[in-house]
Amino acid sequence: MPKIRIKKFPVIIRILFAIAVIIMVFIASITFKHIGDLSDSYDLVTNTYKVNLELEQIISHLKDAETGNRGYTITKDSIYLTPFIQAREKVNNSFVILKKLTKENEVQQKNLKQLYLYINKRFVNFSKTQLMVERNQIRNKAFFDTFKEGKVCMDEIRTQVNKMIAIENKLLVERENINNNYIKTTPNFIYLLLIFTLGLIAMAYYKVNTDFNKIKHKNNQLSIFQELSSQAEIVSKSGSWFRDLETQNYHFSDNLYRLLGEEPQSFEATNENFMNYIHPEDVEFVRGEGDRMRESNRLDDLQYRLITKQGEVKYVRAFGRVMQDSSGNEKFIGTITDITVEHESFHSLEEKNQELERNNKELSAFNYVASHDLQEPLRKIQTFISRLEDKEQEHFSDTGKQYFERIKSAASRMRLLIDDLLQFSRTNKAEKVFEVSNLNDLLENAKQDVAEIINEKKAEITSDVLPTLEVIPFQMQQLFLNLIGNSLKYSKKTEIPVIKITYQKVKATDEKELNTNSRDQFHKITFIDNGIGFEQEYAERIFTLFSRLHEKDEYSGTGIGLSICKKIIENHKGYIFALGKPNVGAVFTIYLPIQV
Amino acid sequence: MQHDYIHIILADDDEDDRLFFVDAFEELKINTKVKTLNDGVELINYLNQDDVQLPNVLFLDLNMPRKNGLECLQEIKANSKFDDIAIAIYSTSASEDDIENTFVQGANIYIKKPDDFGTLKKILSEVVTINWQYHTNGLNKDNFLLRM
Repeated sequence: MPKIRIKKFPVIIRILFAIAVIIMVFIASITFKHIGDLSDSYDLVTNTYKVNLELEQIISHLKDAETGNRGYTITKDSIYLTPFIQAREKVNNSFVILKKLTKENEVQQKNLKQLYLYINKRFVNFSKTQLMVERNQIRNKAFFDTFKEGKVCMDEIRTQVNKMIAIENKLLVERENINNNYIKTTPNFIYLLLIFTLGLIAMAYYKVNTDFNKIKHKNNQLSIFQELSSQAEIVSKSGSWFRDLETQNYHFSDNLYRLLGEEPQSFEATNENFMNYIHPEDVEFVRGEGDRMRESNRLDDLQYRLITKQGEVKYVRAFGRVMQDSSGNEKFIGTITDITVEHESFHSLEEKNQELERNNKELSAFNYVASHDLQEPLRKIQTFISRLEDKEQEHFSDTGKQYFERIKSAASRMRLLIDDLLQFSRTNKAEKVFEVSNLNDLLENAKQDVAEIINEKKAEITSDVLPTLEVIPFQMQQLFLNLIGNSLKYSKKTEIPVIKITYQKVKATDEKELNTNSRDQFHKITFIDNGIGFEQEYAERIFTLFSRLHEKDEYSGTGIGLSICKKIIENHKGYIFALGKPNVGAVFTIYLPIQV
Repeated sequence: MQHDYIHIILADDDEDDRLFFVDAFEELKINTKVKTLNDGVELINYLNQDDVQLPNVLFLDLNMPRKNGLECLQEIKANSKFDDIAIAIYSTSASEDDIENTFVQGANIYIKKPDDFGTLKKILSEVVTINWQYHTNGLNKDNFLLRM
């Protein structure tokens, strides 16, 4: 099973939210600063107005003082001096206020000092005129000079005040400009940022929403998968469990309980509780493997027995691996499968294999008996027969001679049978050494082996040029020998045996007999004779061991020769078929696959 | 004159085979001196005697009690004293394994015991008249087994 991984809270959403928060904090701080600036500039404007006001006040107070002074000068009445004295105080008060208001502006402070000097000078002038009035020194040149001096001084004051007002106004205009710019651009900037942030939040929302849908979909799939896996567990007779490596808590699947013959989740999932169901003979082994499993964190194909609640013994196979979930928690996940049926069938298969092996051994022992122990007494019987024949034959009566002939032919037949049987079992044996061989040579050798009979019967054998193939040479030669021998043996007594051997390459699909759709190609070699033939219904039977179609006396033979042929062809992964018609002849066709 | 005789030894535990063997040589009328021994142990003991007349040809049965033919063959071939003895394996079976093993161990010819007395005579007369020098030079696995 692939490792399950749930993605962490997506990084992109984290980034989007972080940017949004940063921007909002930024906007907040900008707004805060902006409001502060606005209030500052408001203060500054107010300040300017206040300064201007106080300056105007000073002028006004000075005018009052001047008016009072004039009245006193004209009337000499001290009643006019009252506003003059009040004006003096008011001017001083205004001064204090101005000093405070302009404390951050050095130029204005300087101007203010200058103004103060002028105003002082003016008041000194006032005092001078008043003193002159008291002494009645008016209407003389000194008085007029002083008076004029007062006017000049007053003009200077006005100029100074106007200068200061002009500075303040200029400042005011400058500040208004700055403020205006500021007020115009800031909201745009904030507005843009706000839209951007909204965009980000919308994106994040979209992402969260799609992720949520995905998770919902995954959850649906997961629940389907869960149901499937629980069904699969029931069908496959398996259970699963996991252990949290951090908390060491276990969880068993429902079917694991069922495997133990218990109701699902009917007892607490712990290692010890599970161990109670393990076959007593396996407990120690499983405990050891369990310890190993906890160390190495893997469990590879552990097989042991369980005893269910009902007392049934089950063979199980366990397997486990560590899985890491998305939060990095490691879990050990394991499965347990009931393999009782497999175990039993494997067991019986093994038993059958052993039996087969025993049978094979017995067979090869029999082979040895046939090859050696049976041959030896027979050989002696035959040798003694030949001794009797040479030395004692003339002493036999006619009946004795007849019996002797019967004994001789029975012994020969026994020899034939043993030899053929040996041949057959040798064909069966594993020694299958394939060599590239010229089939023409092998055919020639086979013909040589029966040359005597060929001469005796004056048989005609014709053959196409055969290919050179990878075969087991001595077996192929045996095959040719048996087929030719067969044709010679079952030839008509009235006709010269004619054997025709043909060869061609064929496609499997073109040959009805092969009955296949494969695209394989075959070497097809056919042996056609003009012998006594056979009924087609026996065409398959003639290849089975010891099957004969004729009386023993009529045609000699053991019924093994064609079985050997079939065996040899099977060893070469080929096919052999027989076609017969009584009194017309037989056709034997062999197919040998063309290796690609 | 000793050299007029061909000295022959047969080691075979089978009484009938020893009988056929001796009878065959009697009828062959070749100047031979035939000695038969009942098993491998007897054979080796005989050969190891001092001043013993070593055979020209030794016929060795494979399947014998106490010490079988293959063991005898190995012992004889390991001793250079016996280098001049031609060894003919004389066995009931002609299994590929036996033929292969005895050929590898240095036997000179392999005879499958025939089932006919006439053939036996023919085989024995051929084997004792073989020019071993010539035969051994051209020896290979194909002509090792004597075919009649």
